[in-house]
Amino acid sequence: MMSGRDGEFRFNRRQFGLATSAAGLALSMPGYLRPAFAAGEDSAAVIAGKVSGLIIHNAKLGVMETPLTLLRQHKHTPKEILYSRFHFPHEGEAAWYDTIKAPDFPDWTITIDGLVARPRTVKAADLAGMEQVKRVSVLQCAGNGRAFYAAKQKVAGGQWHNGGMGNIEWEGVPFRPFLEAQKLLVSSGAKWITAHGWDHPATPEGSSFAKSYHIDDPALDNAILALKMNGEPIPAAHGGPVRLIIPGYYGNMNVKQINTILFEAEQSPSVYQSMGYRMPLVPVEPGKFGANDYTLTNSVPTYGHKIKSAIFSPLPEDKPGAGAVEITGVAFNDGRGPITRVEVSSDGGKTWTDAEIEAPESPWAWYHWKAKGTLAKGENTLISRATDSLGRSQPLDGLVWWNPRGYEWNGADHVKVTV
Amino acid sequence: MRRAILLWAVACLGLGLGRASADEITLPDGPGRDLVYARCQTCHDLGYLKESSGIPASAWKDILVTMYGFGLRIPDAEKAQIVTYLGTYLGPNPPPAAPAVSTADAAPSLNGGKLFEQNCSACHQKTGKGLPASFPPLAGNSDLFLDRLYPVHVVLNGLTGKIEVGGKTFNGTMPSFAHLDDARLAAILNYVRGAWGNAANAPAGMRPLAAVDVKGLRDQKQTPKEVHGLRASLLK
Repeated sequence: MMSGRDGEFRFNRRQFGLATSAAGLALSMPGYLRPAFAAGEDSAAVIAGKVSGLIIHNAKLGVMETPLTLLRQHKHTPKEILYSRFHFPHEGEAAWYDTIKAPDFPDWTITIDGLVARPRTVKAADLAGMEQVKRVSVLQCAGNGRAFYAAKQKVAGGQWHNGGMGNIEWEGVPFRPFLEAQKLLVSSGAKWITAHGWDHPATPEGSSFAKSYHIDDPALDNAILALKMNGEPIPAAHGGPVRLIIPGYYGNMNVKQINTILFEAEQSPSVYQSMGYRMPLVPVEPGKFGANDYTLTNSVPTYGHKIKSAIFSPLPEDKPGAGAVEITGVAFNDGRGPITRVEVSSDGGKTWTDAEIEAPESPWAWYHWKAKGTLAKGENTLISRATDSLGRSQPLDGLVWWNPRGYEWNGADHVKVTV
Repeated sequence: MRRAILLWAVACLGLGLGRASADEITLPDGPGRDLVYARCQTCHDLGYLKESSGIPASAWKDILVTMYGFGLRIPDAEKAQIVTYLGTYLGPNPPPAAPAVSTADAAPSLNGGKLFEQNCSACHQKTGKGLPASFPPLAGNSDLFLDRLYPVHVVLNGLTGKIEVGGKTFNGTMPSFAHLDDARLAAILNYVRGAWGNAANAPAGMRPLAAVDVKGLRDQKQTPKEVHGLRASLLK
């Protein structure tokens, strides 16, 4: 099924051909830079270098989702199609990250401060001279799949389906060894590590973006201060020049444009830590638990990816015929234990078959899988459901985890195809 | 007609990019809509609102509280109006679209200062001083007098791209305010041209704007980038 090669970009010719011919223009512009004149909305105009045809959730915030027909073509998701999500307008002095080009900040620094005896400021340029490691990890928006919660009660925000993710090869400096090498002399009172990004809100009253992690969080053992994404300097839109990558953690935890690391007694007061991007500890009901009812004790930040699978083919766009069909897709989790099983049904859950699972590139990467099914005339519901070695599995009905901000959807994936 | 389309396409090509979506999103007409346009687009465009339509009124109320955390500072009365509008028109059971009613007839009592506060101050501030690096000042802004009609182009179509105002660079996007009627836009612009000492910068003989001036440009739809181009040509 995998037709794309790492680093090679292909777009859906049918889609973009239509867009350009509608304007009556035969352009010989290079590949994906072709603008779509026909539609009012053009993702290529939202972030420079992105392809046309991404699903725009919010242009001013550069929030865009990758159609699965594009996403499935690549082993490592290219920057031209990778979903994007900024928290603040990419305008004014923030306009520099409105592009997939690498940012040009030779003097970028990261300041490490807080409850340490020896605060340090490290040049990003010096990071490049340190030991580098690679981490292939799924990057996924915590809101990916939010649209599916509408079957119970629609929740506010971008209505993401499954395209708010990508499989990325990151490269950078191992986080803990880096911190140790700084000889910070961390106080015993430090319980949290907080990462701040350069970006900031449109108005001074807004909350700046920061994420906090328990100081002994085992996920940080695998974290890197990433300088490269898919073998190139990290694009500005995806967090360059330096992005904290914590493999297996939801997108928002991987702070973009990192410039400050604080050792603190408490987690950050940023609303992005205290109120946004949190999950209730127990299932909650619409009308009984609202978007502002989160506390530090009744909820937790969206840390590791809940186990999940997504069907990549056939999709309705493939217009499959009746009879035998190969069903393919990906599965992933937080990397704490391997995915051991993907069950697939092509008849709405009446019968199930175990998919054949490919060995992943890393514990945090996509596990590709394929299974045989049969399509009948009429509507067919395909379902996939992953399980890992820790016994964690996707709920058949993801609505059990309905939450008023619509995060961490991980219901068994359902795709309807009509033959 | 075909020629017009071709010209438009060529213009887009020249600019390198198609039109971004932000200025294309409209919400159903109803009381409080203009306040939503004025208050919510400082930080995000209306895409989120449109995509969220159908959530319960109580969830819209929660969102206003959430937005306080993200920096929204507006009077309670405005909050209430916005919640009522969103809960009604973007709630689970929106009323059928009402026939378009022109409010231009209400023109005589228009208060430009009040309209400015309602529609423009979220970004440009009541003082007209704007916010450094984000929103340009209108106080002392010489663009207001580039020519008599230039500001009309801006409020009708929006403006995007790098500009320099008072020696400071801004590189943002102002949305279109074409949802306001001709008389209101004229009243706002006349107010801005007279406020904060701006009157002293007015070229001799520049007449105040009338609704008919706005009306005359309304159908000449431009992209925010084209307005940026117009500005550049007027500066030459």
